[in-house]
Amino acid sequence: NGKMFSTLNEGLSSASRVLVASRNFANDATFEIKKCDLHRLEEGPPVTTVLTREDGLRYYRMMQTVRRMELKADQLYKQKIIRGFCHLCDGQEACCVGLEAGINPTDHLITAYRAHGFTFTRGLSVREILAELTGRRGGCAKGKGGSMHMYAKNFYGGNGIVGAQVPLGAGIALACKYNGKDEVCLTLYGDGAANQGQIFEAYNMAALWKLPCIFICENNRYGMGTSVERAAASTDYYKRGDFIPGLRVDGMDILCVREATRFAAAHCRSGKGPILMELQTYRYHGHSMSDPGVSYRTREEIQEVRSKSDPIMLLKDRMVNSNLASVEELKEIDVEVRKEIEDAAQFATADPEPPLEELGYHIYSSDPPFEVRGANQWIKFKSIS
Amino acid sequence: MAAFAATAGGLLRLRAAGSEGQWRRLRGAGLLRGLLQPESATGVAAQRRHVAHFTFQPDPEPREYGQTQKMNLFQAITSALDNSLAKDPTAVIFGEDVAFGGVFRCTVGLRDKYGKDRVFNTPLCEQGIVGFGIGIAVTGATAIAEIQFADYIFPAFDQIVNEAAKYRYRSGDLFNCGSLTIRAPWGCVGHGALYHSQSPEAFFAHCPGIKVVVPRSPFQAKGLLLSCIEDKNPCIFFEPKILYRAAVEQVPVEPYNVPLSQAEVIQEGSDVTLVAWGTQVHVIREVAAMAQEKLGVSCEVIDLRTILPWDVDTVCKV
Repeated sequence: NGKMFSTLNEGLSSASRVLVASRNFANDATFEIKKCDLHRLEEGPPVTTVLTREDGLRYYRMMQTVRRMELKADQLYKQKIIRGFCHLCDGQEACCVGLEAGINPTDHLITAYRAHGFTFTRGLSVREILAELTGRRGGCAKGKGGSMHMYAKNFYGGNGIVGAQVPLGAGIALACKYNGKDEVCLTLYGDGAANQGQIFEAYNMAALWKLPCIFICENNRYGMGTSVERAAASTDYYKRGDFIPGLRVDGMDILCVREATRFAAAHCRSGKGPILMELQTYRYHGHSMSDPGVSYRTREEIQEVRSKSDPIMLLKDRMVNSNLASVEELKEIDVEVRKEIEDAAQFATADPEPPLEELGYHIYSSDPPFEVRGANQWIKFKSIS
Repeated sequence: MAAFAATAGGLLRLRAAGSEGQWRRLRGAGLLRGLLQPESATGVAAQRRHVAHFTFQPDPEPREYGQTQKMNLFQAITSALDNSLAKDPTAVIFGEDVAFGGVFRCTVGLRDKYGKDRVFNTPLCEQGIVGFGIGIAVTGATAIAEIQFADYIFPAFDQIVNEAAKYRYRSGDLFNCGSLTIRAPWGCVGHGALYHSQSPEAFFAHCPGIKVVVPRSPFQAKGLLLSCIEDKNPCIFFEPKILYRAAVEQVPVEPYNVPLSQAEVIQEGSDVTLVAWGTQVHVIREVAAMAQEKLGVSCEVIDLRTILPWDVDTVCKV
């Protein structure tokens, strides 16, 4: 993946400056991670894992990029440069970066609308993402999708109706099995969507046909403003696949997420059928930008998670304490990330909007182009696809 | 939200047909106001933010229903629901997030007033909400279900069309779910995009057994909603979300009914009939005024109010 390599390169070159200046870093370190709760599984993912310096710096940079990108989106939204709906995932960085770390770029991923982080980890640039949020032509969906509809290679969005993406994910998994290339599909949904009927339909099909589908419930404790206890008869989301084996994972620890994902992917690739992962995570922002996020939970709770379980902080502490990186080095990465986000935001603000002529494009796959009626019968748009 | 033009004689007569060419030259994806401006203005209009292209036109204060209070659309809905729960001890309100008042504040205060066994939240499951509502209604209790946005009603489409609409017919009138009313915020709001802007009344408009209603104002909404709740057939009540705060009128505090399946002639005219419902009624009123002023055309403006079964007689009356 070209982008990952270049960020790695930048990471290494700044690191080597520091290296020459002061001390030697360890190449890797072993960490203990939390044991996952298991459902219908004899063994779970390992409880220790090795993190290399290279990987650590890469994960740190990616998580920091997602964090700053979301905060920049918050800022742009408040300045009314981003309009419409905007669902931010700061606090959940370990999920998107950890999942990506556990799979290959040729695997597939689909999720609902809290998707900016996944869009980035699946390979798009911050520029394309922010420009899509501001609705400009440089955006990844040409400015026509917005926050909820971002797509990339092997990343199927970006979907507005919760739960609807899960049968889609099962279908993608079927295609993976059929094509025989050993690929898996990560199908994500939230704790609110976990109560939708179509998810259970997808569980049944995936288990019946042994599809290589990893169902992932991103449990951030609140479905919009409703806490999990008030919405679900069983909050053990990892068990709700019933006949599908499941694991409950600490979603704030990127290493835990990575190991669990590797375990789950291996399970699917070996032909054993689907598996379910519950990632216990937290979002700092409200459900969307129109939700302050404090009417259904206390500021103290948010503060507590920030100070005790922040995923970036956890990784940073681990790396610094085991001599995988220095505080200064990570600060340098912070500075570079900030600059990258700032440049992307400039682009996203300055880029022009898509031309009005394109309003009717891509409704059907059509050859030759045809005409689409606008808001009244005298306004016509050409539809080309 | 739609409008179509038809004359009593079936011919579309618009004087100054030459202006049609002018309309074609103009670029503007907005509603009619953006369209009927000279070309130079709309060159800029294409890049301008289009938020609301209409002005809500309140009706005169109604005198025949007792004391009135200034209310916007969501307050009128709350008032109707309050009246219903007070009059009918079997009435219950349920849906996503209705307990704290609802994402549009339509159910504020009702849980405190009537108790948590009468106003309660459901999990995220539209098909379940409507199916559950049908079950409540079949036992004879009054079920008022809320679907959080009309865009989310589709998982419940089977329940509405196959279960609710046909219950009375297939049981030979032994059972019915007539005391079910489904409410949903409806229509474009400017920033809703694909999944917070839809107007799906057309999908339901061809399903015998249910009634579909769309009000244009707070006064109409309260009366129509009360009629839907009391009607002995399952009803879907779409509330134009852009009017929740923007539409303010004097609305009677006591309950009253606006009849279903009756269109209202808002303005009489002799050349063209314009039929609309919901938010578009206000756009059409402006259009009628403009047509009179600029083209000398006399328009009859009709608010359809009930989409199904619709008032054919009023619309087609010469």
